[in-house]
Amino acid sequence: MAFSLASPRTPAAAIRLLADAPRGDVEVLAGGTDLLLDLDAGRVAPSRLIALGRLPWRTLRRSGGDLVIGATLPLADLERDPRLPRDLPGLFRAVRAVGSVALRHRATIGGNIARASPASDLLPVLLALDARVRLLGPSGARELPLPALLRGPRETSLTPGELISHVVVPVRRPSAYLWQRVRPSNDISQVGIAVARRERAPYWAVALGGVWPVPVRLPSVETILDAPVPGDAQVERAAQEAALRAPFVTDKRATETYRRRLVAILLRRAVHAVAGAPQGRSR
Amino acid sequence: MRTDAPAKVRGALQYGADLEAEGMLWGALVPSPVAHGRLVAIDAAAARAMTGVRAVVTGEDLDRLLPKGGGDPARRMFPSDELTYRHQPVAAVAADSLAAARAAAAAVRVTAQELSSVDGIEEIFPDWPGDEGRRSPHVVAHVHARRGDLEGAFASAEFVLSQIYRTSGVAQVALEPHVCLARVEGDRYYVRTSTQAPFAVRSDTAEILGVPESKVVVEGSWVGGGFGGKASALLEPYAVVLAAAAGRPVRLGLSYREEFLLGRSTLPAVVRIDSSVAGGTITGRRVRLLLDAGAMLPGRDFATGFAIGFLAGPYRIGAVELEGYAVRTHKPPFGAHRAPFAPQCAFVVESHMDAIARRAGIDPIDLRLAHAWQEGDETPLGQRVGPFGLRAALERAAKRRSEWRADGRGTGGIGVACGFWSTGTGAGGEVSVTLSRTGVRIVEGEREIGSGSVVRGLVAVVERLTGLPPAAVRLEYRATDAAPFDSGVFGSRTVGALGRAVETAVRTALATLAERAGVPEVGLVYEAKELRVRVRGRARPLATWLTAAERKDGGLTVRGRHYGRSGAFDAGRVLDGEFYAYTDFTASVALAQAAVDPETGAVRPERVAEFLDVGVALDPEMIRSQMEGGIAMGLGEALTEETLWAASGRLGNPGLLDYRVPTLGEIPPLETETIEGYRGAGPFGAKGVGEPPIIPVPGAIANAVLDATDAQVPELPMTPERVARALKPL
Repeated sequence: MAFSLASPRTPAAAIRLLADAPRGDVEVLAGGTDLLLDLDAGRVAPSRLIALGRLPWRTLRRSGGDLVIGATLPLADLERDPRLPRDLPGLFRAVRAVGSVALRHRATIGGNIARASPASDLLPVLLALDARVRLLGPSGARELPLPALLRGPRETSLTPGELISHVVVPVRRPSAYLWQRVRPSNDISQVGIAVARRERAPYWAVALGGVWPVPVRLPSVETILDAPVPGDAQVERAAQEAALRAPFVTDKRATETYRRRLVAILLRRAVHAVAGAPQGRSR
Repeated sequence: MRTDAPAKVRGALQYGADLEAEGMLWGALVPSPVAHGRLVAIDAAAARAMTGVRAVVTGEDLDRLLPKGGGDPARRMFPSDELTYRHQPVAAVAADSLAAARAAAAAVRVTAQELSSVDGIEEIFPDWPGDEGRRSPHVVAHVHARRGDLEGAFASAEFVLSQIYRTSGVAQVALEPHVCLARVEGDRYYVRTSTQAPFAVRSDTAEILGVPESKVVVEGSWVGGGFGGKASALLEPYAVVLAAAAGRPVRLGLSYREEFLLGRSTLPAVVRIDSSVAGGTITGRRVRLLLDAGAMLPGRDFATGFAIGFLAGPYRIGAVELEGYAVRTHKPPFGAHRAPFAPQCAFVVESHMDAIARRAGIDPIDLRLAHAWQEGDETPLGQRVGPFGLRAALERAAKRRSEWRADGRGTGGIGVACGFWSTGTGAGGEVSVTLSRTGVRIVEGEREIGSGSVVRGLVAVVERLTGLPPAAVRLEYRATDAAPFDSGVFGSRTVGALGRAVETAVRTALATLAERAGVPEVGLVYEAKELRVRVRGRARPLATWLTAAERKDGGLTVRGRHYGRSGAFDAGRVLDGEFYAYTDFTASVALAQAAVDPETGAVRPERVAEFLDVGVALDPEMIRSQMEGGIAMGLGEALTEETLWAASGRLGNPGLLDYRVPTLGEIPPLETETIEGYRGAGPFGAKGVGEPPIIPVPGAIANAVLDATDAQVPELPMTPERVARALKPL
């Protein structure tokens, strides 16, 4: 394992380095919590790493109705934001579900999104909250809805030389994130489910992790819910729909059958948590 | 305080991973690419041509490198024909750096003809085998014993409860992977290694290399954890042949991934257990075990006869039949891990006991109290039970259960489970003890493995015997060519067996001094950093009672030996195979409260209490740490830890991400209590405490789940999915 490490100080320099490098020969290093495993196992062998740690993107600010999170902000910093539990309870819970305390001091939100893991704890809640990503590349900046970025495991629609600079999350929507894993304190979730409720129709957003190939929204489930406080029968139909539609597979962490059972259970709990919570608060 | 603590906190102690020597090369192993197959060819040309590669060794090189070309053909270092598990070493490489060694190992081309593999025991025996079991070429061991009229008991029972349980393999997960450093000087092989048992590594290494033991010198390093995986040779013979081939010292270690693949995991088992019950009494029990032995060589399995002794439980039962098979599969050989297989056995028996209690309408603790062994009872094989604190532990557990039910601090079910153990003797051991002006020096071959049994346990024996402070006692470690023999730190035997050797040595020294002083007894005192002898109430210089030669040697040196013997069982009850007798009888009882999510099946332990029969508590603080560690490890085996073996001998989770040891977040409040007064085989009646604490934990959690949900989970670990399946079939 031999590579050169570049630590550009400006976004422009980072993009230039990235655009100049031959494809497949360069990897982008944010927190490195996933990339370093790949390097160690020999799954990737770049000759150059571009570290983003010096870029001015370790930021967190509020703008209008949005929370704008810098791509290289460590999750621990996001977790410590005093307003997050109230503003975005689902995101707060999801951030705390990622790895361990130590890992969250390294891992970044941009890295988590760019790795596009099927088991990501952050992607479901960001999808449910209609998060957008700001990208910066050789031909300038653009903003995409998150689903347009996610292609598959470790696969995004970023173009050569393009980086995620910020994640934009609309705030003040009640939301919840529930997960299930074998080892609660630190594990990959078997299923993660995020729900968020808007103020007017269509009310509900439901998104899932622990699926294949990448976390998704479940529009047919959202349609069934269709009321600020859905009735029990409605929730039950939504739960059954989620169990039916979710793109689950069997892997070493859980069987498909168990995941289908789990998603119905967790959806019921998540919807009830959000529907029953005072405005702006939930689990 | 532990004498090793300051240096460990400062990072100053030399662990195996710190071993270095001038001119040292780095080794790497070349793994078999198949679980089962024929070795066709090994092409090392590309590897040999790589920069920094100093040696590539295959089976063909052994004739050149070793005086007799190797030792016991059954234990060949490199297979010459049949490959029997994936990652089995087929060649080894030494290079200037670890990266170069690993790259070269990856460049060695191994051609194998893949054969169909046996991936699990139930492929061979989907049901309990009849007579064909003994004749199966897959069986490497068979044990069978009977006591009493089982057919009669079953025929006259009110009910017979028949259950099947399955357990998974668990990995060692010592923080420090296996590592050693070998060099060759003339016809002698010197090995420094992270081991629990330097003398066992010496004899193993010599046997595998085909040289006399006197040609192998083993020196233990400080050990970053050992639970049985470091109690015999693993890497040492490979490091030796690499050093012989390269003419330079070679350090060989496992990566953490390799640790999962080669580091001696335990393997899965299936247990059938049937009990007959009449009038609230268990009248008969039949236990049938199928143990996955992996690529274990015939004649080397100890686990089946050892484990099956635990499977009837520490209970008085009139008629018992025990039968077990070790089945060879294409996984790595079965390894011993903290109370080898006993937690799994206790999970089975104790789950079964609670099922009986429910069916019979008896409180689980009452059922156990009614059957618990007491001194004078007989084991199924007819060994007399010695002093045994099981009833006392159960009574304490009953009291604690009432307190828990009343205090409302938990919401979940409460379960109890019993475990039993016997302090190991090993092949015995010796120490050399010197009384000098500066204190008491114990010279031996064992390093501390982390439990405290050496640095605290042996010292505590001297403290108890003499009243000296710990500062007056020093341990010195020697390599096997200079240390007195001892069989190693395993089987909870360090204090129980080697501690007796220390006790004997110190008593002999005191008696010698008393004789010279012409008094019935003398004492030792430590004042102003000087060891003095108290004769008739007066502290006098030690030198007063030493001979001129002793004064010249620096003190009075005495050997202490302890070759403990197990009790005897009735060989007439053994129909086949090898069983093991016990030295003493140690009880551990766990009480667990756990909440279960009735839908997802997630189990959340709320608290665990444990009651341990220690004989005498030589160091209560160290015992507590062993109990807390054992409970934590037991929670892992209960709920999260398993090796995921897939088809063709592939391990699905060779890493700490998906092999889930508990973190602090998984450990609930723990309560520990010791029970004294039931004498064991160790010094002052102490019993070993390394292994007993883990044994009852999975069973107690299982019974807490049963109490919470009315469902039994017939498989370890009790992952949420397995619990959910038990609550409502998927």
